[in-house]
Amino acid sequence: MSGTRRINPRRPFRITPEGIRRIVLGEEGDAGEIALSPVAMASSKPLRLVGEATANLLVVAHSDRGALDAPAREAIAAAAILADPATPVLVLVLGDLAEDLGPFGADRILAVPECGNGAFLPDLEVSVLSDVIDRFQPRHVLMPDSPTGTGDLGRRAAAALDAEIATHVVELKTDSVACNRQGGTVLARRGLPRFILLDPGAIDAALPFRGAGKRLDYAAHAVAPGLYRDLGLKPVAGAALPLEEADFIVAAGNGVRDVPTVEAVADLFGAAIGASRVAVDDGRFPKDKQVGATGKTVQASVYMAIGISGAVQHLQGIRACRHVIAINSDASAPIARRADLTIVADAQAVMQALVSETARRNWPGDAADEARADG
Amino acid sequence: MDSWQLRIAVLVSIGRNPVSGAARPDRNDLLALELARKAGGELTILHAGDPNEPALADYLAYSAAPLEILPMPGGPDIVPPLAARLQGFHLILTGSRTEGGEASGMLPYALAKRLGLPIVAQALDLAVAEGQAEITQFLPKGQRRRITVRLPAIIAVHPMAPLTPRYSHLRRVSGQSVTLPAPASTEAASTAWRTEPARKPVVLQATEKKSGHARMAAAITSESKGGTLVTEGTPTEKALAILAYLRSHRLIEF
Ligand SMILES: Cc1cc2nc3c(=O)[nH]c(=O)nc-3n(C[C@H](O)[C@H](O)[C@H](O)COP(=O)(O)OP(=O)(O)OC[C@H]3O[C@@H](n4cnc5c(N)ncnc54)[C@H](O)[C@@H]3O)c2cc1C
Repeated sequence: MSGTRRINPRRPFRITPEGIRRIVLGEEGDAGEIALSPVAMASSKPLRLVGEATANLLVVAHSDRGALDAPAREAIAAAAILADPATPVLVLVLGDLAEDLGPFGADRILAVPECGNGAFLPDLEVSVLSDVIDRFQPRHVLMPDSPTGTGDLGRRAAAALDAEIATHVVELKTDSVACNRQGGTVLARRGLPRFILLDPGAIDAALPFRGAGKRLDYAAHAVAPGLYRDLGLKPVAGAALPLEEADFIVAAGNGVRDVPTVEAVADLFGAAIGASRVAVDDGRFPKDKQVGATGKTVQASVYMAIGISGAVQHLQGIRACRHVIAINSDASAPIARRADLTIVADAQAVMQALVSETARRNWPGDAADEARADG
Repeated sequence: MDSWQLRIAVLVSIGRNPVSGAARPDRNDLLALELARKAGGELTILHAGDPNEPALADYLAYSAAPLEILPMPGGPDIVPPLAARLQGFHLILTGSRTEGGEASGMLPYALAKRLGLPIVAQALDLAVAEGQAEITQFLPKGQRRRITVRLPAIIAVHPMAPLTPRYSHLRRVSGQSVTLPAPASTEAASTAWRTEPARKPVVLQATEKKSGHARMAAAITSESKGGTLVTEGTPTEKALAILAYLRSHRLIEF
């Protein structure tokens, strides 16, 4: 060993929420592996629930990869706004759960990983829901009216329990619900029924308080195999998908010149390609790729905005996107306020790094591909 | 299978032209009718409502099947008489949600409960074999699910089912509709609903009791979502930060 003490430049480090690189002394790990610490926003919001619990409001939602989507959070917020200070918001999550629902307004949480997770198990889900209703006797059951998820379950359960239900609720008040009728030409209103299925956008999910977020144990009873058999999912390739349906979108704006690299990045993630108006007007992308007020409204889980400033007209189109990742050379671009992760850098370099970084990894199918190439 | 004849009922409602408001065959129900035609078998079109509604006859133009009308103008709950008429059918098809009317999407579920039948909603395609229906179900995010269900069953068709109903003037003029005897005793429908003129719905918001100072502070500091900002490092490190984010939220599997 030579006398000079050398410091490994690839020591493990973290990037703090402020974007500062921190070397973690004494920590073992892969060189260059980055663990993003969750944004430690010590919640200063007060607890909503005070005093002894007297009744319950139940919210039911499906999780996707351990997290809840925007309509599910709106349903939780709706219950938290309706509930009086002695009524806990009980959330039944069908599928596994990896996030804290306290900040969304949930007080008690039951996660049932046997359900959901993409499987079609209507008999099991109705049995779990009926059992939870039986045990907790909620005054009302709120859920997002998603066509195949809780929208289907809520209608099944209301029919099974012969309970009153309001579907496609567009307006919720403390004492009534309202829905569109006759193709939206009249509004129909009634008092709060047992089951309330909410259309997206009816609730503002921002809350000035938080829920207790306590996990309860729950074990689902098995049900006999019913009349349905799920033969599994058939995904449609990301690139072939219309933008409105895509789950992962890589979008490029005026800060990107190199279209083939954008396509390569989209290819990495099986993503669909989107574009800002400027990129479309310049002829780099066809008009049907435009996202925004005069383009398409998208609902992807991930929206990667590369070289897009984030003008309001553009942001309008991505309101429903769950995770926004921005790559922009300007840290003060408006997109940075919307994004969950902003990479301040030249887009071209980061796109190329993304492609070469993932190329070096071992893909599940690589061994087979190589064998085929050799043979 | 020779002696076994697949009997399909298609439930249709009165739709509404979104621009003119004129009554017309419901687009979603027409898709159900087309899917039933594709599945083959003996078809019956069934409508519960006003037998004098002129738009009903247009359903005749989309298939050669007989159109039966259960006379139930307004008021009573249509589920019990419909369920009574639907005994003995192997497949009951309907749209997912009507264009006009109540449009709650509850009817197929209420019928399924009443008849004790399984129901699959949001069907894009359907094939019948050996007493089973295989359904391709629409899921968001470009996913499709395949489900088999034992017959008899109720299937609600998704508005995006890739089908093209064809209008035939000849069928329209030569087809016949039959008005069934009015159901004897009916249960009254729920009277909980009151209608009011349409307007933009009010979004439910939490009310916040804030001190003057807090309100002032909120007004001068724009609420930041607390997103992570990565400014330092090589392009490779930044690319890794993106991959780490995606991995930590289980958005990619590599
Ligand atoms: C009525 C109306 C309707 C509209 N509708 C839409 C719509 O539907 N959709 C839409 O998108 N827009 C729409 N617009 C236009 C919108 O206002 C913006 O002009 C547009 O979105 C800007 O596109 P951009 O972000 O790609 O370009 P710019 O505003 O030019 O932003 C480019 C961004 O790229 C960054 N950048 C530059 N070079 C690099 C680099 N090398 N690496 C990384 N980053 C880089 C810059 O910092 C900047 O933030 C509409 C406007 C009007 C008036």
